[in-house]
Amino acid sequence: MIESLAKNLVTLKKDFSKSYDGKSQIQEVIPKSNSELFPIMNSHLDSLHQFATKNPIYYNFFEKKICSVDCVVYEGDINKFWLNSIQHISSKAPFSPTWMMSGYIAALFAKELGYSEVIDIGSGDGRIAFCAKILDMESHSIEIDSMLVDLQKLLSDKLDFHPYCSDAVNFDYDSLHLRHPIFFIGGLAQMGGTALAEGVLQKINSISYLENNSGWVFTGTFSQKYTPDPRNEAGWGTLIAKNNLKSIQTISLPTAWTFHEPDPTPYIFSQSI
Amino acid sequence: MSSAEDISQMFRSEYLKLQNKIDAANAETDMSVHEIIETYYQVMNVSSMATMLKQQTESNELLDQIQETERLISKKFNSILHPKIMANLSAAIQEMTKTLQSENSTENSKEQIESTAKLFEELRQKMSTKEFIEQYDAGISHD
Repeated sequence: MIESLAKNLVTLKKDFSKSYDGKSQIQEVIPKSNSELFPIMNSHLDSLHQFATKNPIYYNFFEKKICSVDCVVYEGDINKFWLNSIQHISSKAPFSPTWMMSGYIAALFAKELGYSEVIDIGSGDGRIAFCAKILDMESHSIEIDSMLVDLQKLLSDKLDFHPYCSDAVNFDYDSLHLRHPIFFIGGLAQMGGTALAEGVLQKINSISYLENNSGWVFTGTFSQKYTPDPRNEAGWGTLIAKNNLKSIQTISLPTAWTFHEPDPTPYIFSQSI
Repeated sequence: MSSAEDISQMFRSEYLKLQNKIDAANAETDMSVHEIIETYYQVMNVSSMATMLKQQTESNELLDQIQETERLISKKFNSILHPKIMANLSAAIQEMTKTLQSENSTENSKEQIESTAKLFEELRQKMSTKEFIEQYDAGISHD
């Protein structure tokens, strides 16, 4: 079911991107209500819409039928966050969000794999952690950029996904009392993601009850703009092998940064061997 | 296979293109990103040709042309135009950043936000052009 949700979302995005003639910097689509292509609880879809409506990065929305699905299109702008991030050396990769629906599907897969907590590292506006909360998982959202954490605080009043303003590499994970967590690493391997993942892996491996008990989700790319990893896995193969992890499954989903590209973003789910 | 005369003519033609670009750039106060990139590409193109031909040719005429080209790049481009472009770009980036930071986007209309987004795009272009030029600068600093 999750694979077909992901496939349907990619098809929806392809259809939408062909017909979209707006000028917004970022844009995304959320189905209005459940349908054959998106058999999702309406209360969950409502939560996604509430997150988008409340989120100041979106300045406009309108309804549109795409692939015979009634959807709401959200148009947004994240330039001021980009400008802030380049002024401060704190952030390695500028903020660019995954789609809300992609965050939801990725969190849904994490839940199906049996994980109890989602830890969103380099979480931007905290949408993956928010999606995990919709699915009744515990979640924590770690972001180094204080401007983005302020945004997360604004968005976490109803569903508290626990935003923390911290460098994820120095964060005290033991204090969260995690049971069976999965870590989402924001940022492509080639955009500072490797260093971030290595740092967090090192921290987690130093906590005995988490070392072989944690899942990892890496944000990949097959874009020819980047040098491919010799062990593939959309840029993460070397890190996965070096840290004795194995890839369980890759799910490809739309993101803001691949909106104008033919291929979606591969999310590589992995765990200890 | 080209004759030595063909090669010499081709090199002369590329040299003249470069000279025109440098003269045009000197006359302008505000070069566009496109003009900047075109000028640097021509400098790199002619430099590579000169390096390659210097090792291959025995023609004194061509060697003289190569020397003239190297003088043009060193004296007119590397010493005068390149620092001027770097300084202008840095100033433009600083100014645009300041302007965009002072923008209050919270109460802007859709049209205003999308119009400001174009300025952000322009800023990104200038920043990546500066990065490209800094790479050139690092290259000539090591020569």
